[in-house]
Amino acid sequence: MSDQNGRVLVKAEELTKLFPVETSLLTRADSYIHAVDEVSFEIHEGESLSLVGESGCGKTTTGKLLVRLHEPTSGRILIRDEEGNMEDIAHRKGREMRAFRRRVQMIFQDPFESLNPRRTIFDTVSEPLTVQGIGSLGEREERVANLLERVGLTPASSFLFRFPHELSGGQRQRVAIARALIIDPLFIVADEPTSMLDVSIRTGVMNLMSELADELNVSYLYITHDLAVARYMSQRIAVMYLGKIVEKAETEELLSNPLHPYSKALISAVPVPDPRYEREAIPIKGGISKPIDPEPICRFYDRCPIRTEFCKNNPHPPLEDKGGGHLVACYEV
Amino acid sequence: MVRSTTVQDQIDARQSLTRGNPLLVVEDLTMHYKTRKGDVSAVDNVSFTLAEGESIGLVGESGCGKTSVALSLLRLLPENGYFKGGHIWLGDTDILELSEKEMNDVRWARISMVFQAAMNALNPVYKVGEQIIEAIDLHWGVGSQEQARQRVAELFEMVGLDPAMMDRYPHEYSGGMRQRAVIAMALAVNPDIIIADEPTTALDVIVQDRILQELSNVQEKLGMSMIYISHDIAVIAEVSDRIGVMYAGRMAEIADAVSIFERPLHPYTYALMSAFPSITGPKHDLVVVPGEPPDLLDPPSGCRFHPRCPNAIERCRQEQPPLEEMEPGHFAACWNPMEVTG
Repeated sequence: MSDQNGRVLVKAEELTKLFPVETSLLTRADSYIHAVDEVSFEIHEGESLSLVGESGCGKTTTGKLLVRLHEPTSGRILIRDEEGNMEDIAHRKGREMRAFRRRVQMIFQDPFESLNPRRTIFDTVSEPLTVQGIGSLGEREERVANLLERVGLTPASSFLFRFPHELSGGQRQRVAIARALIIDPLFIVADEPTSMLDVSIRTGVMNLMSELADELNVSYLYITHDLAVARYMSQRIAVMYLGKIVEKAETEELLSNPLHPYSKALISAVPVPDPRYEREAIPIKGGISKPIDPEPICRFYDRCPIRTEFCKNNPHPPLEDKGGGHLVACYEV
Repeated sequence: MVRSTTVQDQIDARQSLTRGNPLLVVEDLTMHYKTRKGDVSAVDNVSFTLAEGESIGLVGESGCGKTSVALSLLRLLPENGYFKGGHIWLGDTDILELSEKEMNDVRWARISMVFQAAMNALNPVYKVGEQIIEAIDLHWGVGSQEQARQRVAELFEMVGLDPAMMDRYPHEYSGGMRQRAVIAMALAVNPDIIIADEPTTALDVIVQDRILQELSNVQEKLGMSMIYISHDIAVIAEVSDRIGVMYAGRMAEIADAVSIFERPLHPYTYALMSAFPSITGPKHDLVVVPGEPPDLLDPPSGCRFHPRCPNAIERCRQEQPPLEEMEPGHFAACWNPMEVTG
């Protein structure tokens, strides 16, 4: 497996983010949403890891922590610098962040909101270069034009000085990809980058992202609710539930042989584009709740079809290797 | 009544296959939106039929006209929308000919709709139960408050909601519960046809699965007909007996669900399926459809898919292909369809 041979590029160690629950303006928060709770994973050079789960599971918060749009409550975020040292950027501030921002970029879900409507495509895509003080205006223009061609906005000259509202959703997302790539980052957090796009447009953007990852040796944390998309976009998948990673394995292994009861239910609920296919239904109880000061036991206990007395009396189970790098957080597997 | 050939073929095909008369016949429906830049040809000569107890899925991408078809069936077009031609036969009545007052008796009581955004389909300042009672009152008249509440409780149970929830406000419901409440409201006065426009699009996959299950169960139990509308061919595959694939305001292909998946005839249907990722089966390369859907202010000549079509021939640029029966019960609008192989 190639990705395991690559060096570790990004490492999250026991990453935690708590959000205070506002009760009133004047009182101090005394309860917290455990949005991300002691989450650990690594991403290798050129590898793409998908983070999947339902709304509210903490996948977007995890992504925002990695690009430091949020500051973690605790835990470490190690990213390899140019000299090959792993540096912890979990609590970096201001000026210290600039070098880091060159290496890590983010692509957002909604291309209608993530681009400034008053700025031309050139302004938007070249902004990271301007901020980092790279190149003269002429050089920037050439660089932006080359990249626009590469992301499929051809001829670049007809796009450079247009505004976002003149572009379709797919074209806008290509602009967002170009903006993320313009300063040659090593690592991109992509938060549902294709979920707003139509099928016939989506495939082009997915393929483009995969090709660019290979060409430029970029790694992705690919955040999605859609397991079928994750299958195509990543070598490994991590399943999140209420702030915890409950299972992590190579993509095909996880989809064909899920071990955690939640992953099983999730996979069994995905509709299959084939009317002849009979899905095996794995019902689970209730719905997803908010992890406000959760009990210190397994997060899935309330809904779990295989829970036991042991689960009730023990802490949330650790992620354990059940063989071949297939990690599961469950006492009963 | 004299019907156009395309829809008459569909009715004939249906009678030879199922020996059933259609409950609803949409015939050459054409509707436009007026805009400052000109007319948008949102629905163009669309024909399909729906039998009693049948579910049909309309699938296509944004702007293909699927939601406009749904709004047409209820005559709930936005202010700038207008009908340019065609008929919508509900039994022997063309609902496009009805007065607004007569239409009110059709809406909800005969054809009702589960709207896309369940968040916005409920009034936030009224209790959910009250809103459903209001719908019942409009059509049946509420006997006593007790009877009405009885009916709401019955509906709630049907869609898997705790009847105690009827005295709560919409914000106290989760997304999935709200969608169930909207379904309960659509069922309130026993309609013959329910249109479900992206009924689960905003929901998580586990909740989506349950709601689709619930809808299918209710449909079977009450013997209703369903029109599902979605961009998601996997969802459509799960719930539909027949599938209509729409592209740029036109019906590209329509057939029973299995035929559509086994032997897609229209290159667009084929492309849509090859572009759709699945978690099952071998991982094939996803096919990219070049280009983007056309601007319906100025749609392409001939077949509207021809600029993106790998099979396009000269004729496609010139002439609009009619929706023709290419195999028994399997209709496609294409001059150069996919090879049909055993």
